[in-house]
Parts: sequence; structure tokens; C-alpha cells
Amino acid sequence: MTVNPIGLDYPMKDARDRVVGTMRFTIDHEVEGMAHARVVRSMVPHGTITSIDTAEAAAMPGVIAVVTGADLAADDRIASPFFGIGRKDQPPLAIGKVRYAGEPVAVVVAETERQARAAAETVWPEIDETPFATDHLEASRPGAPVVHDDWPDNACGAFRLHRGDPDAAFATAHRVYEMTYTTPSANPVPLEPHVGVAHWEDGRLTMWSSTQWPHVVRNELANIFGLEREAVRVIAFPLGGGFGAKGQVKMEPLIACAALVAGRPVRLQLDRDEVFFTVAKHAATMRFRTGVDADGQMIAREIELHYDAGAYANTTPGGMGNAVVRSPGPYRSPNIHITANGWYTNTVPTGSYRGALTTQVAFAYESHLDEIAHDLGIDPVELRRRNLLHDGDEYATGESMHDVHFAELLDDVANAIGWGESAAADGDPPHIRRGRGVAVILKSTPTPSRSEARIACRADGTITAYSSGVDMGQGLSTTIAQLAASALGVHPDVVDVVDPDTDITPYDAMTAGSRLTHAAGIALGHAATDLLAALAELAADQMEVAVDDVEHVDGAVVVRGAPAMRTSWGQVLADAGVAELARDGVFQSEGGAFAEPMDVKGVASVHWHQGAVAAEVAVDIETGKVTVERCHGAAFAGRVVNPTRARQQSEGSIIMGLGPTLFEEYLLDNGQLVNPNLSDYMIPSVLDVPVALTSHNMEHVDRANNEIHGVGEMTIPAVAPAVANAVFDAVGVRIRDLPLRAERVLRALDAQETTDG
Amino acid sequence: MLMMRQGLVDPARLVSLERLDALRGVSLDDNTLVLGACTSLTDVAADDQVLQRAPSLAYACQRVGNVRVRNRATIAGNVAEADYASDPPAVLITLDAECVIQGPGGERRAPVREVITGFYETSLAEGEVITAVRVPTWPSASTYHKYISRSSEDRPCVGVAAAARFAGDEIARLTVTVGATAELPQRFDDVTDAVHGGVLDADTRAQVAAAYAERIEPISDARGSAWYRTRMVEVFVRRALEDLAHAHGVAGGVR
Repeated sequence: MTVNPIGLDYPMKDARDRVVGTMRFTIDHEVEGMAHARVVRSMVPHGTITSIDTAEAAAMPGVIAVVTGADLAADDRIASPFFGIGRKDQPPLAIGKVRYAGEPVAVVVAETERQARAAAETVWPEIDETPFATDHLEASRPGAPVVHDDWPDNACGAFRLHRGDPDAAFATAHRVYEMTYTTPSANPVPLEPHVGVAHWEDGRLTMWSSTQWPHVVRNELANIFGLEREAVRVIAFPLGGGFGAKGQVKMEPLIACAALVAGRPVRLQLDRDEVFFTVAKHAATMRFRTGVDADGQMIAREIELHYDAGAYANTTPGGMGNAVVRSPGPYRSPNIHITANGWYTNTVPTGSYRGALTTQVAFAYESHLDEIAHDLGIDPVELRRRNLLHDGDEYATGESMHDVHFAELLDDVANAIGWGESAAADGDPPHIRRGRGVAVILKSTPTPSRSEARIACRADGTITAYSSGVDMGQGLSTTIAQLAASALGVHPDVVDVVDPDTDITPYDAMTAGSRLTHAAGIALGHAATDLLAALAELAADQMEVAVDDVEHVDGAVVVRGAPAMRTSWGQVLADAGVAELARDGVFQSEGGAFAEPMDVKGVASVHWHQGAVAAEVAVDIETGKVTVERCHGAAFAGRVVNPTRARQQSEGSIIMGLGPTLFEEYLLDNGQLVNPNLSDYMIPSVLDVPVALTSHNMEHVDRANNEIHGVGEMTIPAVAPAVANAVFDAVGVRIRDLPLRAERVLRALDAQETTDG
Repeated sequence: MLMMRQGLVDPARLVSLERLDALRGVSLDDNTLVLGACTSLTDVAADDQVLQRAPSLAYACQRVGNVRVRNRATIAGNVAEADYASDPPAVLITLDAECVIQGPGGERRAPVREVITGFYETSLAEGEVITAVRVPTWPSASTYHKYISRSSEDRPCVGVAAAARFAGDEIARLTVTVGATAELPQRFDDVTDAVHGGVLDADTRAQVAAAYAERIEPISDARGSAWYRTRMVEVFVRRALEDLAHAHGVAGGVR
């Protein structure tokens, strides 16, 4: 009998290919007759395009086409040259005006990449510069430069939540605290840049793209070209990293338009700087006002959130609802008022960054709570315990919380870091101070959302699982094999998994929000149940027994009580003359909290993701440099599918989270991004990994409960506040603005000395 | 490579020096280390003679970039690139290293200090190449501090190289060079000469550190503002001198 593969360290199916370099990524894909594109980008952050001289480029060797936004607007094969999840406000190439420095204004298609590059350098757009706003608070004020004429106040999404009577509760509060926190923009930096190939054949578009959202890309492309969805096929190979950068729709419309105009298959691969120009994390400014009673219970809360949408809406308008429901954190909030506003600015359009919209608020609420604890003289872990949500508690949305384990997660990380013991280490030089901090977070999963899956069994004995979930290094294809194998009672080795291809693999909303393992698992479970039932029916007929007497064992049917009567599934199908038997399963979650943007309430998430981190830092008081020496992360996984990969998710999240905590940020000068490369923009290197890095993926205590939850981004939102809290513990300075740059910490230490002196 | 990728330079031809074995390796000429121009930073850092006679140079070479960079980068290439934020030049200048330069007019020698003349600029004439870097081994103690303000693979915010020879308790000679803070590596011999004959005690260390902080006009960039760099110059010159003081009397110095 095959052992259930859930919870076993089944190796990644493609591990060998990944290690020896034979893994196929979109970057390796070629189509016969393929030409190459190079994008011309705006040098100015805001302005009206007066002309784009393409004549010189068009005459250069190998050049097939030079395309501008005006060309797209005039092309009647293009139904609508605009795309976007929240608002269709983004053209593949700027039409009429440019809205950020780095925005595509033209694309050159040539026989070779080198020719395309050479020609692109000769295209010089004439742009009448207009005043620009790169700061979201500046953009929110009356009279600010208008990014989109259709949105004259730069508003890009607004949500509000109101519960209880915050005003009355503030009036009775023992103490009231008000602080403002900021987090900067950042880039997810997948090592594989955005890359795609578009191929038009007989009015049908095939798009190979490094995307996390293949079905959404298909729908958007169909919309742009006025095609039926079936006329667009999107194929996604495993990604060389995504982290949100390849969510939604990115370069696909531009590549498809270039291929259409050039009349050739066209490939585009972005350079590193262009990845920085394509997607950015939302910068945010967050004001938290909290009233506590004498015990430190948070009885009144007011949260005001402002997110920088960048130049185009993408997911920001709806995303502000997620910002609202994630901002109270894992705490009881009987009286609370929350507003979240997105604002257009003349900066790189925003999108997902692992822990999207959550890392911002988590830094704010977990720093804020620490500040309150310190002022009240209550241990920060204890103050959290007094406020944490438990099963049955009502959340700020009014929904009843279930399967929440915040208290256990907090205990786990506090114990792991040695909370309550002295952080000082023997042998530290006198300029080193140590401190510890903790943070606990919650995160909603996209709700409602839909995932479909299919499992097929064939007469030749093969079994195939179909899902449009994208493997971006997390090992999703192996997870799908394990989940399908578990549901079928076979070994994962015998389950083939098909890469996403919208012609073949069924609909899936997105590989994002830590949702796939949960959603695909349920869909695959339904598919497997139906498939096993159908096989049993065929077998019962063939063996002339009742269906109820047919059992499945290791990919074969046996008759209950007569194990010798065993027929493989393949043989059952062959005997029945059925080449392939397939069944579909569907996961569909229902929510409803966001029906009224100004009155968010109800179910915001089918499951609340839960994570915690504890950190120990060493701060050099002469330089301000923060070194994270130890880190422990904990997440609630429900049931772990693959312990090694789940651990790598939690620990990888921590490592990734250290970047925006300590040094990652977009730096702008006069509207220009000045560090769009990996020499000037820092990401953590292997030497930045804490000397001690550990994690725990918590499972159901109830062994009968097999619900599986995602673990892809449970620790990342807790990293920055845990580290900032540890810095405070070490040296007594509170940094409310990320990143915790050495210079920023040193200036705070200087200010503290001045104040104390 | 980075400059090519960013379109800052566009060479018509690239000539590989990969197989010039004669220019690779470390030898000793009297008391001077002779580093073949094409010796990789990895090989310099691992060489026993360098580790014994110029440990601060071995350390600085070992801290450049990452292992992939160090395996490709050469010691002469590092000097000729004249990158203000590179680690080895400050150490080489502190040790009085000189370049052996071969050109159409024959061979000449020039101190590293005079070869590097500006941001990515050198005094190398058309047709001249560096064939070796000669490193005197006069110090009894030497050290290098690479202060990184951001990711561990970042280039330094401030790099401080220091070297000393002692006569009894007295400083017989002291040199200090600060890199990564200005267009050129900063070495002020009048500051260090002033303490020759004295003891490298806390007061002296603080005096030299303060003088360096005052004399250097630092650049501002994402690794630190001018204000911050001035503070860091003082901190790391002091810490470098503390290393030398602690190492005094210990064979080979520190690092």
C-alpha cells in the first residue's frame, strides 16, 4: 500500500534539471522566424509626447518595425490599447502622455536583439515636460499634478471600515497613542527577468510568458484585441522566480502588439533596469492611533493608510480593501475605524511584492504595539497575548475567527529566541549592543477566488494532473503531484504534471497570495474523488460486482475481500475501450466583505494566514549598522505537504524580508529612479543570512483535520517589525521609517544622546 | 563588464589575457612581493607569501565582491579600473606598492598612488599595460577595514587600510589610506608622520582619526551621505589603528 505522500519530503520533480542547468524556462523558448524587440523608454517622469522620430531607427539594418503608442491607438486590429486589473488605464506604449520615467514609449522590432538595441538608441521622443508628483501624500493634495485626466484628484482606490464606537472608546481610554510609519517602494527582483514570445497565426495569438497569472493574461489579451478568449493561448513555463513581480499583466500586451504590427513572432526579454521600471512595491504612509485601557487592551483604534499606486492602477483600487482588512493585525478590535487610499503618482506602476499590501501595515501595527508596550511598562510579548485573537473571537470585519493559532505562534517564536533572557553576548566589543524583538501577523488570502484542476487516467497506465498553478521555484508542480497522488492513493512518481497552458490546463485565478496549495489541493481532491468513482463504476461492470465492493489500491481496483481480483486502472480503461478518463474539480471561495467599499464587513478571507518572527540583532552604536544575528519564523500550515520545501518558504521569506528591512528601496532624484541595477540596489546576499535561522510550520493538533494552508509569505511581513523592535530593545531608538539604514539609526542615536544629555 | 552592460563603455574589441601565464603568480624579489598582473584576487588572497608578508592585502582581496568576481578579477585590472569604491587600492597605496608598466617606450615603474588619477582614470598612456604590481613588505603590522553600510556584497561605504612598523614601543613608520570616500584613495602622510616616534596609544589613535575625518571631503551616495562618511572615517581609522596597536609585537600583524 502506497504511503500517503502528504507530509513527506518527496524531492522536487525537476530538482536535477534545476541543478545541472537543463531546466527549461521561458527565457529559453524560441519560435521559428522569431524577431526581437527592444523598448524605448521615457526619460522624463511626466509630460506630453509631441513627437517621436522613428525614421532613423526604421532605416537601420535588420529593423522590421518601429511602433509607438500613436500607432497602437490608430490600429483598427486593436480593440482597446489599454489594460489593467482594477482600471483599464495602462497602454502598452504611452499614448499622448508619459506618466513615469522609464515608461515604454516605443518598441523596435528587428531581426536580432543587437540590431533592435542599436536602433532603439536612435529613437528620441520629444516630450513637453509637466510638473510631476512622486510622493503619494503630495499627489493626494489639492492642486497636485494630475497623473490621469480621468482621475483629477489622483484617487486610485478607497476603502473604509467602521466597527463599534471608536470615538466613545477613545474618550474612555487610559492612554492614547498616535504614530506614523512609512515603508518605501522596492522591487521583488526575480532573477529571471520578464520575458515573453508572442506568435500570431491565422488570427490566433499564442503567448509564452513568464507569468504567475496565465489565465488573467489570456483574458486581458483577448480584451485588447477584441478576440474570444479561446483565440488566445498563454503558456507559462516554470519561472526563474516571481515573488509577485510576474503577477497580473506586465509586458504581454506590448509583446503581442509588437508581433501584430511586425507580422512576425516577437520575443522580448527585459534587462535588469527594465524589471525595476515594470513593477514596484507600494510605498506607504500609515498613521495608527490607539486607545488602551489600564491593562493594555486595545479598546479604540483609528488607522489611516495611504498607498502609492504608481502611474497605473493595476490592482491598487481593489487592493486598498485588502490593506484595510489586514491592517488591524491579529488583535481584537471592538472599536475601530480604518481608511485606506491609493494615490496615483509619477512613479513605476505598483504590483504584488511577496506579502503584498501586508508587509507595510505589519511593520506599522507591530512597531506601534511595541511602542505602546514600552510606554505602559508591559512586556511586549505579554501585551500581545492580552490582545491576540482566538478561535471564536470576532475580527474587525465582524467575521468569526476560526482555526487561529496566534498565541501558539507567538509562544513558539518567543521561546526560540530566548525571550526574557539577556541578549548580551560574551566577547562582544563595547560598541555592540544586542536586542530582541517579536512580531505576529495575519494576512488574508484572495477571497473570493477560483481554482480548477483536472486529473486524467489513461489506458496506457499514465496519470496526469492539470493545473494552471505556476511553479516559480516553490516546487508547485511537485506539490500538485503529491496532492493528486494523495487523493488517488498512488505514488507521486506516477503522476505527471502539465505546465500551465490555457489551451490545456483549466482555469486558475492566480499563483499568488499563498493560495495555490490550498485551492488546487481542494480542486484536485474533488477531481480525484470523481475519477475514482468513475473508475469504480467501470470496474464493477467488468468484474460483475457491486460498485460498493470495488476498492482502489495503488492505481488498481480490487474487490473487497478478494484481493486477488486486482486490475490496474489502465487495464480497466483498456478493457472498457476508453483511452482516457478525466474528471475536473473546482475550488470556489466566497467572501463578500468588499461589496461596499465604504463599509467593509463580513468574510474577507476564507482562511487567515498566520505568521510570527522573532529576531535578535547586534547594533554597532558607532556606525548605526544593524546585523540580524538570529531569526526564527513560525507559520500555521494546517497540514504540511512537504516539510523541507515548507521550511524553505518560511526561511526564504525571512531572508527576502531582510532586504526591505535593512537596505532595499527605490531611490529617486528629480523623478528619476537612480538605482535600477543590482550594484546600486541591494538585495540580501548569502552573508546577510542570520547566523541562526530556524522556522516552525505549525500543524493541526487534531490529526483528523487535513486542511492544508499556504506557507509562501507568512513570515515575511513579520521580519521588519521584529527587527525594528529588536533595534529598540538593543539601543532604545525607535525607527518608524524603513529601511533601517545604518545612517538612519546613527542619526537616531545622535538625537537620543542630545535628548538624554 | 558592468560598465559595458550599462552602456557606459563600448569597446570595439576585447582582448583576452586569459592565457598569459607569465603574468600570473606571486614571487618574492628581495623583500618585495611581485604580483603578476593577471593574478586573480582569489589567488592573491590565498597565497602563502602574501598572507605572511602582506596580510591586509590578502584580506582586502578576499573581501572584493563575491567569489565569482574574485575568480575573474585580476590585481592589475583592479588598479587599472581605478574604481573609487574598490578595496585593494587603499591597501596597495598604504604599503607603497608600485606598478611595473610596459609600453611602447619600454618598462617604467610608478607608485599605485600615481597610477590612479581620478574616477576610473589612470596615468597609463596609450599602449601601456601593467605587467606586475610590486608590494614592499616593510610593515610589522597591517590591517584593512571594509565597512559596508548595506548588503554584504555591497562595495564599501568606507575602506581603511593602515600599516605600521614599530621600533620598540615607538612608531617607526605609520601609513593610513582611506578608500571609497572620495575620487581618490586618501593618504595624508603629514598626519601620520607627525606621530612617528610616538606611541600608538588611544590619544594618538584618536588624533589621527580626527585629522583624517577633518581632511577628507567625502562624496554622498546611497552608501552614505558626506556627513555619515566623515563619521565613519573617524570610526574606522580609529579601529584600524587599534588593530595595529593590538598587533604590535605579534608576528604577521592582524588579518
